[in-house]
Amino acid sequence: MNPLKPFSFSPRQAFRVWQREVSVYKHVYKSTIVSNLMDPLIYLMALGFGLGAYVNRMQGLPYIQFIAPGLISSSIMTAATYETTINTFVRIHFDRVYEAMMATPVTVEDVVVGEMMWATTRSTIYATVMLCVVTALGLTRSWYAIFAPFMGILGGWMFATLGLTYTSLLKSIDQVNFYFTLFITPLFLFSGVFYPVDNLPQIVRMIAFLSPLYHLVEIIRPLVLGRLEYGILIHLAWIAVFVLIFTALPVNLLRKKLVK
Amino acid sequence: MAADNSIVQARGLRKSFGIMEAVRGIDFDVKPSECFGFLGPNGAGKTTTMRMIGCVSPSTSGSLKVFGLDTQNSGRKIKQRLGVVPQEANLDEELPVEENLTVYARFFNIPSSVAQDRSKELLEFMELTEKRRARVSELSGGMRRRLLISRAMMNNPDLMILDEPTTGLDPQARHLVWDKLFELKKRGVTQIVTTHYMDEAEQLCDRLAIMDQGQIVENDTPQSLVQKHIGREVLEIRLPEKEKYQVLSLNTELIKGHDSYRDLLILYSDDADKLLEVIKNTTTNTDYTIVRRSGLEDVFLKLTGRRLNE
Repeated sequence: MNPLKPFSFSPRQAFRVWQREVSVYKHVYKSTIVSNLMDPLIYLMALGFGLGAYVNRMQGLPYIQFIAPGLISSSIMTAATYETTINTFVRIHFDRVYEAMMATPVTVEDVVVGEMMWATTRSTIYATVMLCVVTALGLTRSWYAIFAPFMGILGGWMFATLGLTYTSLLKSIDQVNFYFTLFITPLFLFSGVFYPVDNLPQIVRMIAFLSPLYHLVEIIRPLVLGRLEYGILIHLAWIAVFVLIFTALPVNLLRKKLVK
Repeated sequence: MAADNSIVQARGLRKSFGIMEAVRGIDFDVKPSECFGFLGPNGAGKTTTMRMIGCVSPSTSGSLKVFGLDTQNSGRKIKQRLGVVPQEANLDEELPVEENLTVYARFFNIPSSVAQDRSKELLEFMELTEKRRARVSELSGGMRRRLLISRAMMNNPDLMILDEPTTGLDPQARHLVWDKLFELKKRGVTQIVTTHYMDEAEQLCDRLAIMDQGQIVENDTPQSLVQKHIGREVLEIRLPEKEKYQVLSLNTELIKGHDSYRDLLILYSDDADKLLEVIKNTTTNTDYTIVRRSGLEDVFLKLTGRRLNE
């Protein structure tokens, strides 16, 4: 017998969970937004200006202009990933925030969906700030770029699903590191952020096709650079199918973990 | 028992975790405006029972109704009217004190203006107004507990469940918490409390269920429990084994019952002084004797044993 039948979910209660995260964020955004965005900005500067001095042109673009949209994409990935791995782990095990929520008219489903909404929000905020910086540096080429932050919603949702799934399987916080070293860092390096994967051997391209970040990059780069093609739809569809299939997974896993 | 107006009604309630049976078929009723206590050693199943009442842990079998609603499928409705004070503080460390209350109120869909007023009122009531902008980590243990209780009151609950509300507090803080809980009771809020402190149970509870190894071994008012199992007074004597038997074989109505632990003989009586006189006639070995009033602790130890369960 299970009192929390499948899909005991209320959008309003999930929104309440999201609101709690917003309340917390209001206290910390000043310090976190700078430190979190330092990372992609350092890559942009170091590789864009540094390596860019040696790399002639990449797909007919100055190197820094090529990697800028890629780094907007990766900021979406890291924002949702940090939120749903380290932060979620702390909320489950150390601060026991979810336990407190579940004593109220909030179910585990509301918690998980609310957290996904928040991770998505954070991804969207970061993509927006990154886009502003990239635009200020004169690296944006098209008005379509304003759609790039909206990809924070779909991309953030995708990486929140992955992060929550992993976190629900964790026993200790040290295991979070594996996720970054074995999954996030390879995605960052092999998903077309720093070089196009189209001309690489078939096998590498096949691996790239499995990478969630690759599809995000392949949507955001054309938007920022104004090079729209129908191919974008394939990448959009890939992400949409991914979230539709996998969203229920962390909901079920976390229910097993939180309801005993 | 009149089941109709019960706030909580459990029948044959069980909970297993794998092969471990934490709660083994318990029945109890909690009536409106009373303070009902679960008293028992660690591992007796008190917290598990509380979690089932709080609709956060599904029961394995049996029935459990809160406000007449089934906990198995009305969790949200029940939780809307509950105030839960957990055993370990799970305050929101990422938010300052006052927001711990206002953000929590949102989960009950309380309008923010109402939540603002109520949080001010509760911080005042719990003597935390000065700390309203402080971080949770700056609070002492007693303040945290008071904040937890305030938080549980944000939705004006009809039933509060408090799991060991004063464990780990110093005597001053305990008395302040008791005082506040007593005020709540006067306002008509039904309370369920778990504790392993006898004085707490005596102070707070109108009725008690003594739990041991997942079962309720007794269920009555504190006074009746003491009267029924112990009597008015207790006489403690340390004696060699052989003389213990001599004392116990005394044919007197003064001994209502007894317990024995190592060289200690504990005799339950309605007149311990008189009993001591009688005993002094049979043995000279009465250097260590204590005559004292009986209490809940005597009942507790008699019913749950003197050995550690851990």
